[in-house]
Amino acid sequence: MRQKTIFPYLLILPALLIICLVSLYPALYSIFLSVNTFRRGERVFVGTRNFEQILASANFWDSLRLTAIYGVLFVLLTMIFAFILAVMLNRRLNYTGLFMTMIFVPWILSEVVTGVIFRWLFLPGYGLLQDLLSPLFGDIAFLGHPQGAMGVVIGATIWRTLAFAMLLILAGLQTIPGEVYEAGAIDGANGWQSFWSITWPLVRPTTLVIVLLLTLQAINATGLFLSITNGGPGRATEVLSVSMYREAIVFFNFGYGAALAVLMLLINIVLAAIYIRTMRSEVVA
Amino acid sequence: MTTLTQPRPVAAQRSSRFSRKQRIDTLLIIVLAIISLIVIFPVVYAIFTSFRPRGFGLSRDLFAGGFYLGHYEQLFSTIRFVRQIFNSLVMSLGGAVVTTVVAAMAGYSFARFNFRGRTLLLALFLGVLMLPGLTNLIPLYKIASDLQLRDTYAIMIIIYAAYGVPFGTWVMMGFFKSIPVALEEAAEVDGATPFQAFWRVVLPISAPGLIAVFITNFVYNWNDFLTALVMLSSTAMKTAMVGLFDFQNQLTGNNNELLIAACVLIMLPGIILFILFRNAFLRGMLEGALKG
Repeated sequence: MRQKTIFPYLLILPALLIICLVSLYPALYSIFLSVNTFRRGERVFVGTRNFEQILASANFWDSLRLTAIYGVLFVLLTMIFAFILAVMLNRRLNYTGLFMTMIFVPWILSEVVTGVIFRWLFLPGYGLLQDLLSPLFGDIAFLGHPQGAMGVVIGATIWRTLAFAMLLILAGLQTIPGEVYEAGAIDGANGWQSFWSITWPLVRPTTLVIVLLLTLQAINATGLFLSITNGGPGRATEVLSVSMYREAIVFFNFGYGAALAVLMLLINIVLAAIYIRTMRSEVVA
Repeated sequence: MTTLTQPRPVAAQRSSRFSRKQRIDTLLIIVLAIISLIVIFPVVYAIFTSFRPRGFGLSRDLFAGGFYLGHYEQLFSTIRFVRQIFNSLVMSLGGAVVTTVVAAMAGYSFARFNFRGRTLLLALFLGVLMLPGLTNLIPLYKIASDLQLRDTYAIMIIIYAAYGVPFGTWVMMGFFKSIPVALEEAAEVDGATPFQAFWRVVLPISAPGLIAVFITNFVYNWNDFLTALVMLSSTAMKTAMVGLFDFQNQLTGNNNELLIAACVLIMLPGIILFILFRNAFLRGMLEGALKG
């Protein structure tokens, strides 16, 4: 560390300005918007009415339920697949680098590119996966079926996120020294036993962190829904984020949309706080 | 005699265990190869489809219709498409340049100086990292419309720059900490000001860190959809991602092969940069999740 002058502050100033302008100020401004309503460009103060309207609307609770279903299924399945992959890749076999690159390609694709590809794969009467998978699910047209459409979006999200979760689990696995397994093997532990009594307890904190990160991602996921289902069929995939986008940007209900954004921000902050606490207490220690 | 024969069973046992391990490893490699192929298949299938004439996507034969370049020719001669690719380039590059410069400065300050408020500012930067971009879209939309800044390069560049700054600062801070302070001290003994020491001595040897921040941010900006969707509404100003979204709504079920060709062109820069700079991306991903 070096001597104190005004120089360090000058170096930080541009970054601070840009963050305040584009991240902090809008976050506070959304609280202001959420207690107002806008009619023909006129702002009217309405207090908590937007929030009351949201909590009283059946659409909100439907969206919350859909977000929860999407989040739970996506996080659970991603974790299972990612764990299996990570355990296999952790053996550092030949070609591991090549496999990693292949598995990582979907992660580098944008939400819309993923959306275009999945909607195309599930086009009724055309899509490859529609043809391959529909016999297994009672010949439904996936994108025209409420649960089917949700299933496609969940599948697309897992496809895009698998590599991310896998890499983090792999990083957790690699912190376990090989000697621990050797000691376990000397004590006569078989593969399954050494997984449950050595691997799992040691990677559990990392796993918790990844689950929280994926949950945050699930709550804020929007682009895939817009490009694969656009909230449909009907409102069957209108999760909170899609509903917020529609209210504010499509229907110009800024107050109502901002109130929804504030509620979502609260959910985010609570999860982020748990995440930071977990990081401090378990991973760092 | 016993001394001669005794090691044998042990060796035999070892070699059989070894070959069993080898067999399991071979099996695992096959399983991993199959999984990797399944994961990457949609992308490969999309690339093949983009070279097939209109309507041939229905055929399950990957080579049906021969090698057709018409979709790409059509895309490159569509002014709207080329313009939107250009918009994406300007906004993504602009945002990445601003992020890299601003984050390098802030990261250097956090890495080298102990000043009043340092801990608080660092906590603020990390806190902003956890703010979801999504919930800020409505206020940003309102602010940009009120200031008549929607559909401009400037607003997109500043928003993209801001998205990248907190994490870029964190990465650059770690990078500068790994460079010995002695370099700057020597420069200052020779009469350089602190700024000159930073600009002329530290920055040039920090190229790997700067490139990593720049490349990853470029790809994140290039891939952004939601911010561009909300902030840009004129066809001439939209990015390629928003253009692809519009294109999807016009072409799905009508000319799927052309749509997929556009999709392939738009995903190409990200995939190429990822393959070239794989480690920068992976390190960034790990640091972002486990150290932030």
